[in-house]
Amino acid sequence: MSYQDWFRQDRLPHIYCSGCGNGTVINCTLMAVDEIGWKENETVFVSGIGCSSRASGYIVTDSLHTTHGRALPFATGVKLSNPDLNVVVFTGDGDLAAIGGNHFIHACRRNIDLTVICMNNQIYGMTGGQGSPTTPAGALSTTTPYGSSEPAFDLSELAVAAGANYVARWTSYHVKELTRAIGAGMRTPGLSFIETMTQCPTNYGRRNKLRQVTDQVEFMKNHTALRQKLDRMRESGQKVPADVIAIGEFVRRDRPAMGVRR
Amino acid sequence: MKLVIDQDRCKGCNLCTLVCPYRIFLPGKTLNRKGVVVPDLDRPERCTNCRLQKLYGRTLCGLCVMICPDQAISWEEEEPHEPHKVAIEY
Repeated sequence: MSYQDWFRQDRLPHIYCSGCGNGTVINCTLMAVDEIGWKENETVFVSGIGCSSRASGYIVTDSLHTTHGRALPFATGVKLSNPDLNVVVFTGDGDLAAIGGNHFIHACRRNIDLTVICMNNQIYGMTGGQGSPTTPAGALSTTTPYGSSEPAFDLSELAVAAGANYVARWTSYHVKELTRAIGAGMRTPGLSFIETMTQCPTNYGRRNKLRQVTDQVEFMKNHTALRQKLDRMRESGQKVPADVIAIGEFVRRDRPAMGVRR
Repeated sequence: MKLVIDQDRCKGCNLCTLVCPYRIFLPGKTLNRKGVVVPDLDRPERCTNCRLQKLYGRTLCGLCVMICPDQAISWEEEEPHEPHKVAIEY
């Protein structure tokens, strides 16, 4: 069985815009699921509202498309009522950080055995490009026409502080590393949080001088660095540019988890 | 094995032109029947996976297939097998 068999072929091609990074993240997730060898009838994909959350509708397994920001409570219910199911949550930055922020930190605190994949495109893409909590400072959007004046939310550090068992951040350019991180997160008992920076050419890149899809992916490639490298640079007294995003594995630990299969 | 782009699924984002280490994908020039500029394939027989997948028994490279957001790129079996002349550039 290849990862292509996990797609609902009758629903493809999907509705994402040309060059949207969410399709890449679905590919990587299904590749990781296929490598682990989960069964279709033992896997549930849960998602909230937003561009990223349409992902669960394109997958053959049972899936829940739930209310805005409440994907994690629904997933908690699914997992605790039947711990034998493997539950994967697709969510976006507006879904997880803005309206579902409280659910997110408490899911991390409880350390429920879920895999949360956050497709962070730094904007509300589906509703027309409003600024989200993860919009970087200075970026233009429809609600920040003179540049965002607020600092952005660092979701991975939040998950580390709140107590998730596995936290990693990659971009949609780093497909191999992302697949490996999702696989590691799925094998880890307890909440594993994988944040993926994705490109949004229609609503983010178009307003921020990254008109072509490849421009934005090149930007992500050039403005990310491994977390360990950034730490070394800080230790040696070098100046780290403000727009460089730390990627890599943030934490892997063994806190007591809830809802693990008996 | 042969590299193919599904003309119905491709939306012309050119992400494959960015990642291919052999630069097999080139930005297209003409519209297809759906009005999408699909990338052109430049000597696709150079693809590592097409040549060596049978020998190694696993998928090699495969970056274009994984990064394609529209699941448009795939490998097809070629029957009967045609030997290609491959010029390796150093």
